Amino acid sequence: MKSFTVIFAPMKKLRRFKQKETRKVFYAIFGGKMIGIIAILAAMIGVNSFLGGAASAQTATVEHTANQLVNPINTIWVLVTAFLVFFMQAGFMALEAGFARSRETVNVLLECVFDTCLCGILYWAFGFAFQFGTGNGFIGHTYFWLHGTPETYGSTGVAFLAFFLFQFAFADTCSTVTSGAMVGRTGFKGDIWYSAAVSGFIYPIFGHWVWGPGGWLGNMTLHPLNTFTHGALFRDFAGSTVVHTVGGFIALAGAIVLGPRLGRKFKRDGGGPLPPHDLTMGSIGAIILWFGWYGFNPGSTLSALDFTGIGRVATNTTLAACSAGLVAIFWVYPRSKKWDLGIACNGLLGGLVAITCPCYWVSPFGAVMIGAVAGIVVPLGIDLLEWFRVDDPIGAVAVHGFAGIWGTLSLGLFATGFGIPTADGTDHSSLVKGLFYGGGWSQLKAQFVGSLTCVIVVTAVSLIVMYAVKKTVGLRVSREGELEGLDIHEHGTPAYHMEFGQGMTYTTLTGVGSFLGGGSEARAGVGVEKDSS
Amino acid sequence: MVHLVTAVIKPFKLEEVKDALRGAGILGMTVSEVQGYGRQGGKSETFRGGEYTVSFVPKVKLEILVDSSDVDKVIDIIAVTSKTGKIGDGKIWATDVDRVIRVRTGEAGSDAL
Repeated sequence: MKSFTVIFAPMKKLRRFKQKETRKVFYAIFGGKMIGIIAILAAMIGVNSFLGGAASAQTATVEHTANQLVNPINTIWVLVTAFLVFFMQAGFMALEAGFARSRETVNVLLECVFDTCLCGILYWAFGFAFQFGTGNGFIGHTYFWLHGTPETYGSTGVAFLAFFLFQFAFADTCSTVTSGAMVGRTGFKGDIWYSAAVSGFIYPIFGHWVWGPGGWLGNMTLHPLNTFTHGALFRDFAGSTVVHTVGGFIALAGAIVLGPRLGRKFKRDGGGPLPPHDLTMGSIGAIILWFGWYGFNPGSTLSALDFTGIGRVATNTTLAACSAGLVAIFWVYPRSKKWDLGIACNGLLGGLVAITCPCYWVSPFGAVMIGAVAGIVVPLGIDLLEWFRVDDPIGAVAVHGFAGIWGTLSLGLFATGFGIPTADGTDHSSLVKGLFYGGGWSQLKAQFVGSLTCVIVVTAVSLIVMYAVKKTVGLRVSREGELEGLDIHEHGTPAYHMEFGQGMTYTTLTGVGSFLGGGSEARAGVGVEKDSS
Repeated sequence: MVHLVTAVIKPFKLEEVKDALRGAGILGMTVSEVQGYGRQGGKSETFRGGEYTVSFVPKVKLEILVDSSDVDKVIDIIAVTSKTGKIGDGKIWATDVDRVIRVRTGEAGSDAL
């Protein structure tokens, strides 16, 4: 019955069309449409011939404007990505606070906030000058206090201060990475001093070696080394070494000098990790970091006109994080028979750290492979630290240090032969090729030289710095302070209050006593003991 | 006879006290996070440069069922290990318990410990 109606439906329409009114309406609509189309075509032809002369006369001006747009477009790109990198601070705060115990939450948060402020000032004063000022292969010495800066930075065409902001966000990331392994027992005074050393000196000076003008690693100028690498340059696209290996190994030095938190027993001694206090915060932090990485890696082209490049970098970044997260989960499952959120977060971050160096030069397939290996490097790294009795509450050393080394080396294996990003596209004059894509061993050797230099120099220098801080202002908080919790001992307030029994007695504001009579006396110091629980 | 020993101590002393009691053969306890005040009165904390008083201080309360012969020993162990000598160390007390039953087996009295 149904098919019968369907078949005969056109017949019905046809019958209706034979009616006079229907025919009238049809002709009116059809005729109107035709008139409209003809009018539009006529207008297009007419206008074109009318404007033809003017358009060709304007071509030169239009091209000129396009050239003038290159620098603003690239500057906008760099600024937007700088903002994304800056937002990684929020990710670090959430991740580190969540993975720590509740008693040191305020400490972790303030550490990140303080670091950001301190880093900004130091980087403005001399950090940026050390890193990106002209000088020799080891250190730069122009642009102190951002004096004497040109309009744009180098050949990038990016506004100088936009470039500064982008690099500040990177420096800030490095110094925050460091704090991850030192959570829970570092006194705040010690924190201030080592943070100043990291963001004012260690990071910028090593950064100059790789990214600075004439940096000896980035240009491979030292003689016996460049014969070893057959002239291949050490390449670190967005900072697997410069930011993450540096941050990770300073963190390792800090954790070694500090020693483990009180009550932390290691696996060899029949213990295990101290549990995190808020995995909601921790895992959201990991995802915020992932989001911020879309500034970290794609922004490092410093050029939006290399549009195929930024697309590739963004996709590679994503794929590496995905495969690393998956591999880390499945790597840990057979051991604990549990689906582990903590290792998933650490794993995906390891993938992001690893892809940071090679993201521009590898294919999506390469990115998946690099991430997959990082997903194994991170849990193995955590095991290794456990065995050496190094207490790293957040996993900073495994994620940033070890995965950073792997990422740096992976470029020498997986680079497929892309060029170098420039202000208005890609420079194909020198292609970066790794071992698996017919580039031979030279790039891998260069990566090895860079990574090894970083590990040795940074670990040595930061061990000295950490010991110096320990011997002078003190690195570790007192035993009582640590047992009580850094929040109350160092910062005067816990992150989480039980709200009954307090909040009615803001003594400095009102000066009135509490219902217990403790308020006004508290100010006089009677009956109330400070800093004790 | 069974006694209930209750102790309110500083939170960070809990591990130490627990280890000492386990070492002395006391095999169970119940722990709760509590808040209270005694002579310590409360304590002051700071926020945005302002000082405020927290009237109730966080403590940990232990409840331990022990055989009457062990009461003094348990109280001594807790008193020694939880002591810091500063205000706010807490209190320990013991009370008689009329009946105790282990739920799984139905054992009663000292056998239930």
